[in-house]
Amino acid sequence: MNALVVVAHPCSDSFCHAAAERAFDGLRAAGHDVDTIDLYAEGFRTAMSCEERVAYDTDDPILDPQVGDHAARLQRSEIVVFVYPTWWSGLPAILKGWLERVMVPGVGFTFDETSGKVKPGLGHVRRVIGVSTYGSPRLAVGLVNDNGRRILTRALRMSCGPRARTTWLALYGMDTASPADRAAFLARVERRTAGV
Amino acid sequence: MRALAVYCHPNPVSLVAAARDRAIEGLEAAGHEVRLTDLYAEGFEPAMSATERLDHKEPGVTPDLRRHADDLAWAEALVLIYPTWWSGQPAMLKGWIDRVWVAGVAWEMQDGDRTPTPRLRNIRRIVVVTTHGSSKLMNMLEGESGKRTATRSIRAMCSRRTRTTWCALYGIDTTDAARRAAFLDRVEKTLARL
Repeated sequence: MNALVVVAHPCSDSFCHAAAERAFDGLRAAGHDVDTIDLYAEGFRTAMSCEERVAYDTDDPILDPQVGDHAARLQRSEIVVFVYPTWWSGLPAILKGWLERVMVPGVGFTFDETSGKVKPGLGHVRRVIGVSTYGSPRLAVGLVNDNGRRILTRALRMSCGPRARTTWLALYGMDTASPADRAAFLARVERRTAGV
Repeated sequence: MRALAVYCHPNPVSLVAAARDRAIEGLEAAGHEVRLTDLYAEGFEPAMSATERLDHKEPGVTPDLRRHADDLAWAEALVLIYPTWWSGQPAMLKGWIDRVWVAGVAWEMQDGDRTPTPRLRNIRRIVVVTTHGSSKLMNMLEGESGKRTATRSIRAMCSRRTRTTWCALYGIDTTDAARRAAFLDRVEKTLARL
């Protein structure tokens, strides 16, 4: 299958980048073709512009060639992997912006004017995998809710095929994790992605 | 009360922009002191930089964000005005939280602390004014992550007794002019009663 790994961390030597590399290795070992988008490294613009918001309501919502390129790469993927640090219980702004700017009508979903219904646009996506690190321990994440996970495994999942499965790989309590905990997590990311 | 309104919409001509105007009218009519932040108008950069990330345990914002941190320390009420996209705050507003609500501004941790101590106990009210393309039901199925971010995650750094108010219009893709007008009236009334 075709897999797309989307990484969102400002530091290129981050733990998230290490996790993304292991996901890449795991997917490759499983025989998938793997494509990677590193949002910070590519200088992806985070915020939807006014022109893009206006175009959103037209038949040509994509204005930026980089967004068009990302949309095309997403549209040929059956597996999508998101790798990011959870900040304020959610997605880093740049990753939230990627959803907003790439998952426009015609890509993420289609809007039927007559019935007023929204139809999934990512029917080709069969697997959504989240890989995230959390400063807080699991219990604290549970109390405030994991909104990044909700966006990807519920809101985005609803735009995928009806049988799309989700997998969540989390390292909680990152601030107090030992080198052994980190190494074990990276090994788990590779093992789990190799099993997809 | 001292109210900080943080407004986020790329298009100056939108229902959310109208809601901002009515929110401010409501606040001013009730005699509150208002400061307005318009993230798009000021060209706010929402993506946290590598330097900020590396220094994230050091207290304080980067120098160009000082005013935002001062506004938060000044406010007694926080009013967030934005469209809900992908069930949450737009990236621009999420970036404001990521970059401004940092150590030394929103929270602090001393050596040995296991949990952060809130620093924004001056904020006693959080009001969210937002529009949703889809229905209330669809938002519940999607997990209402924007609501949870406002009423749980950022509220946790405010006063323990901070009250939250949710003022939302659902299904705007299919709504009529009368419901939009009623929503704007509700926004003004809600903020006038703050």
